Amino acid sequence: MKMKLIVTRRVKPLRYGGVVIPLLSLIIGVVISQLILWAVGVPPELFYGTMAGSFIAPEMLRPFVLLTILGAALLVAFIGAVWNIGAEGQIIWGMIVAAYIGVFVAAHSIKVPLSELPKYESMPGAQVLDATYGVVSVVLWNPVLAGLVMILAAAAVGAVWAAISGALRAYLEIDEVASTLIMNYIAYYSLNQLATGPMRGLSVQAAQFGRTDALNDALRFPRLPIPGTTVTTVEVILAVIAFVGVWFMLKYTSFGLRLKILGSNPNALKAAGVDTRKYITLALTLSGLIAGTVGAALFAGDYFFLGKIDNIVSPPTQNMGYTAILVAWLAMLDIRAIPISAYIIAGLMQSGATLQANLGTMAGLSGMISGAAITYTLIGFVLLTFSVLRVLTEYRIRFVRGGPK
Amino acid sequence: MSEAQTKTSVFTQNPNSSNEVVLEAKNIVKRFPGVVALDHVSFNVRKGEILALLGENGAGKSTLVKILYGVYVPDEGEIAVEGRRVFITSPLEAIKLGISMVSQVPQIIGSLTVAENIILGLSKYGMISKISRVKEFIREESKRTGIEVDPDIEVWKLSYTQKQLVELLRSVILGAKVIMLDEAITFLPIQEKRRFYEFLRRFVGQGGSAILITHKIPEALEAADRITVLRRGKVVGTVDAKKTTLDQVRKMMFGERSSEITYERLPPSKPTEEVVVDVEDLWVLGAHGEYAVKGVTLEVRAGEVYGIAGVAGNGQLELIQSVIGLRKPVKGSVRVKLNSKPIDVSKVGIGKIRSIGVGYIPDEPLKFGVSMENNIEENLAMLPSITNGIIRWGRIKKLAESLIKDFDIKTPSSKTKVKLLSGGNLMKVLVSRELMVSKKLLVAYNPTRALDEVTAIMVRKRIKEKALNEKLAVLMASEDLDEVLQVSDKIAVMNSGKIVRVFNAQEAKREEIEKLMVM
Ligand SMILES: Nc1ncnc2c1ncn2[C@@H]1O[C@H](COP(=O)(O)OP(=O)(O)O)[C@@H](O)[C@H]1O
Ligand SMILES: [Mg+2]
Repeated sequence: MKMKLIVTRRVKPLRYGGVVIPLLSLIIGVVISQLILWAVGVPPELFYGTMAGSFIAPEMLRPFVLLTILGAALLVAFIGAVWNIGAEGQIIWGMIVAAYIGVFVAAHSIKVPLSELPKYESMPGAQVLDATYGVVSVVLWNPVLAGLVMILAAAAVGAVWAAISGALRAYLEIDEVASTLIMNYIAYYSLNQLATGPMRGLSVQAAQFGRTDALNDALRFPRLPIPGTTVTTVEVILAVIAFVGVWFMLKYTSFGLRLKILGSNPNALKAAGVDTRKYITLALTLSGLIAGTVGAALFAGDYFFLGKIDNIVSPPTQNMGYTAILVAWLAMLDIRAIPISAYIIAGLMQSGATLQANLGTMAGLSGMISGAAITYTLIGFVLLTFSVLRVLTEYRIRFVRGGPK
Repeated sequence: MSEAQTKTSVFTQNPNSSNEVVLEAKNIVKRFPGVVALDHVSFNVRKGEILALLGENGAGKSTLVKILYGVYVPDEGEIAVEGRRVFITSPLEAIKLGISMVSQVPQIIGSLTVAENIILGLSKYGMISKISRVKEFIREESKRTGIEVDPDIEVWKLSYTQKQLVELLRSVILGAKVIMLDEAITFLPIQEKRRFYEFLRRFVGQGGSAILITHKIPEALEAADRITVLRRGKVVGTVDAKKTTLDQVRKMMFGERSSEITYERLPPSKPTEEVVVDVEDLWVLGAHGEYAVKGVTLEVRAGEVYGIAGVAGNGQLELIQSVIGLRKPVKGSVRVKLNSKPIDVSKVGIGKIRSIGVGYIPDEPLKFGVSMENNIEENLAMLPSITNGIIRWGRIKKLAESLIKDFDIKTPSSKTKVKLLSGGNLMKVLVSRELMVSKKLLVAYNPTRALDEVTAIMVRKRIKEKALNEKLAVLMASEDLDEVLQVSDKIAVMNSGKIVRVFNAQEAKREEIEKLMVM
């Protein structure tokens, strides 16, 4: 005798489930997390106080904006039932080309005799990167043009990187989940090779730590004038474009419509004369294109240089390429829900970090539990609740005893 | 049951059909947004009978049986089982009361074996049976019906016919008193339908009852004991199947419009010399790796309807699929000439010709014809020949509305998901769309299956008109010989992967074709 777990889809899904389920999950997940953290010693007042504060903290603006872009990027693929797990790699390649353009093309580093340094200090467009070695960065391009090219190039290379997996899936039937995932690690490795090799900078830090020279101040993306946030105007614009663009595409273009049908009924699409293999490839390409732009934003808005990844679990993407999978999933692949779900996830991430800090300053419990652990507890329970609710509302589950084969 | 009983009950009316009512519906009302699907419907089913439920597309047949099966709850009215009032709010309850349903789409679970599916059903309703007994039963019934089903095979490996038999067996094992078949065998070729009718005969011979929904009146006359006719949500009447006539039932179903029904040959179209489809020595593999099409050569001219007759499974499907470019031939060529330059479909595939005005009505319309999760407008817009780039929904809406009006598609709106439409209306969405996009050529497989007679004849007339007036070339295969005879200018008979003979419509004789089909 053997047991089988049978899951079948319900005939009628829950009404308003799209709004009710994520919100309910948030509430239940937070309460469960609180109870658990309480058991290990986190005072409830501190917990709820911090949670409330975190969801309106200016610091969460940046993860919110970036997760919105990435959520939209992944949704484009997921809606066509093409599973892009490779946003990480697409972002990394975006960073690499943005760095190349920012540090080698739109500006470049030169070594000058130390005696000439004062001349450069006062020269517009020039920035002394390293006074001991005499390394100066000189801007060659108009900053707006440079920014634009960085973003477009990052988008293009993200698209190409994703298209490889897309084509493998479409034409050779190689599972894209595995290939996109593997390509993330190839991307991390490539970054390390490039940053410590051909792209290594001239400055003392670059020589020492194996990284590129820093991006010239003039080419850095300006921050939004809101105190407490590090989000850049460029990122906000990218998020708006990604959100509106994907929404428009899905609602008003034949490409978007067919992408949705690709996810639900590829056979009908084939009989309509649509080349589904092309669509599979394009879905991943477009997904990678949007994700790639985040690479430029991270480089020119946050890190300003490309450095070797010492620990593979904490790449400069901050794992947002993976976190965005949760965003897309929590939004139930509805583009309109992407910002909401990005907001929830960003708020939870922020809560974890703030809670850790507050435990130290307010309750004298510093070092008791790490911010990441709190964040994962929160996100974990919210998503767990979400999955349970979704499965309960959308599917019927039962066990069957089957006969021996 | 005695031996003698089995024999008589298989082929003739059941002498035991009593007047004892097993299932009765009284004054059932069901409204959907924008339509009254059922308007005070009353009818009953007796023990030991097959009751046919007939009505044109959208008459309310499916809604009625879905109510009896607990899928919908009626707005008004009562249901009684064996004289006792019941409230059926879910299929679970229906089955406990002995009412079961088999629909067009098999519900059994693909990843389980046949026996597991049945055991699953039993355990769900708190019934227990030995797996060996279940398997024995399946083997026995499989032998009796002549439809081979191995109880240990996984369901996804079964053909549609086999799946539908499993559905029926499942109902029987679950102790059904009344089995309702909602167009459950519509998609089957007639030989296989007969096996199912014999099965049902045996079932009612043993004291069960069946409700049979079909749109083929002759089948209802042959297989059923009584016929209840629905029209626009109302019961027109119930008649004894053996005492009524085709004409009377048609009148009940369609009223005035029954006069539109004709099986006369439609006026011939006037083909030009221009060859639109040129198939040469085509060899195509079937689903199991054997040759399904063996060296077919044919030509379809502009303005000509080329009909292929044949018993299902003789290669028509594979031929049609490779002409449209969905199946790559092993040998030979398919050339389609839409403009001046012929397109080699066997090389370039379906995309090119579909985008420049070739219509296609596929086999398995629910799988290949429409996207069930999308609404009517989206099902139009998905075609590359209708939209490319930005979708102007205003324009699509107008198109959809004109098709709805033109083909009398019963739907609350053009934004209704097609899975909510009745089977016939869904088919109308597909057929009307494909006729609209056919500029030069229409390729079709069973274009009017699932349509009621009046609608089917309307569609055939439209096809013929387009051939005549717009010089449309039509390549059509149909399992319905009446249909082939009615519309075709040329009739090819296909048997075992070969075209055994081509007739000009005027010279075609039904008997001769039938002989060639089964020879
Ligand atoms: N779930 C539904 N929502 C809205 N309208 C429906 C639904 N189901 C059926 N209808 C409408 O009710 C009418 C009867 O449909 P149905 O019972 O499916 O007809 P049929 O006799 O062809 O089986 C049709 O006009 C159909 O469009
Ligand atoms: Mg129906």
